[in-house]
Amino acid sequence: MIIITRPDITDEELDHLRERIEAAGLHTHLSRGEHRTIVGCIGDETRLQELPLRSIPGVESVLPILKPYKLASREFVVNRTIVRVGDDVSIGGDEITVIAGPCSVENRAMLHETASAVRAAGATVLRGGAFKPRSSPYSFQGLGKDALKMLVDVRAEFGLPVVTEVLDTRDVDLVAEHADMMQVGARNMQNYALLAELGRVQRPVLLKRGLSGTISELLMSAEYIMAHGNHNVVLCERGIRTFERATRNTLDVSAIPVLQRETHLPVIVDPSHAGGDAALVAPLAFAAIAAGADGLIIEVHPSPEDALSDGDQSLDPASFVALMNRLPAFAAAAGRSLSTVAAA
Amino acid sequence: MSAQQQDEEPLAALARWRGEIEEIDRRIVALIAERLAVAKQTARAKRAAGLAILDPQREAEVIRRAGVLAREHGLPAEAVREIYWQLVGLSRRVQESDT
Repeated sequence: MIIITRPDITDEELDHLRERIEAAGLHTHLSRGEHRTIVGCIGDETRLQELPLRSIPGVESVLPILKPYKLASREFVVNRTIVRVGDDVSIGGDEITVIAGPCSVENRAMLHETASAVRAAGATVLRGGAFKPRSSPYSFQGLGKDALKMLVDVRAEFGLPVVTEVLDTRDVDLVAEHADMMQVGARNMQNYALLAELGRVQRPVLLKRGLSGTISELLMSAEYIMAHGNHNVVLCERGIRTFERATRNTLDVSAIPVLQRETHLPVIVDPSHAGGDAALVAPLAFAAIAAGADGLIIEVHPSPEDALSDGDQSLDPASFVALMNRLPAFAAAAGRSLSTVAAA
Repeated sequence: MSAQQQDEEPLAALARWRGEIEEIDRRIVALIAERLAVAKQTARAKRAAGLAILDPQREAEVIRRAGVLAREHGLPAEAVREIYWQLVGLSRRVQESDT
């Protein structure tokens, strides 16, 4: 349930309203806009039945939220959420953010080379896997803590904030110490223990949609993180499993406008995993921006044929530059612009 | 002033401010411990009076007061309210486990 207050509600009236709701055992969430303020109610709403909400001073209207997600729902907040990553990057504003880097950090030299290339091409956030969830236990599993240290060093050198995946609840504090943004991979979208733990840590979270996760399930996973206290969540469409085998997954382009209708959280797209093929990255990236995505996350490797993971879908630096050169026109057509990084 | 001195001074100031923050943190944690000790006494009084440990009305009052105090100090009230929900939850858990 949300309560829309009168534009002239005083702080004291707002305090009183929230105290009445909280005394009934619910929590309240405040969202202030320029013209209106919304008080969201979380908890057992049947306890509010006895409360004459509409007669409490300052209340304009009371609306039910029928969706299972509350904090993540579009109705719950006045303005769209803008998630800040590091000191200088925002996801969800007018500008489109490009995150790029290797699937996994393989060694210091390749990370350095990739960071240098993606920064020069205009990416504003560096991605790099330290812990890798591989389908086979015999595949390269990532360099773990050593990779985190390399990411920190490269961040210091190039000024790019870093996003990296966290796989295990036991690693949450360690990854939070090193990364500017924590990624939940598609396979962990419904790992509720991990989501709860990420809710506790005040670091932005990049939540990827599961291979078979519905839009509603993705939003419920975001709700888990938010309900545990962390509202800095960015959603990522990365392709879903369908009957089509010509591509690794099928990019659900329609998820972008649907998510933007349902939630205030930013939505970005991973064209690398969606297609599973370097040749598909550019067209899928263009489609994502045309559909209204707030950003892209793209795999780039200095030498994709030598990559220890996901070489088929990684762009080499030259292809990434070519893609970045074409993005501004698509962004402009969608009424947006590409975010840029200040010169080092 | 040499270039080296110019570099060192802000770092020395940073170390000093960090030292102050550590001291404040020590005081905050000591105050949390004190608050929890009083919460245990409150729980004993509640039990003696035959009252339930969970008292949403009282929790709502505490949160409201925290928000008002935050505003008086020019602090973001929402953030302080969130910290207080954590504190209130912690107090309640301590009260419930203190049987």
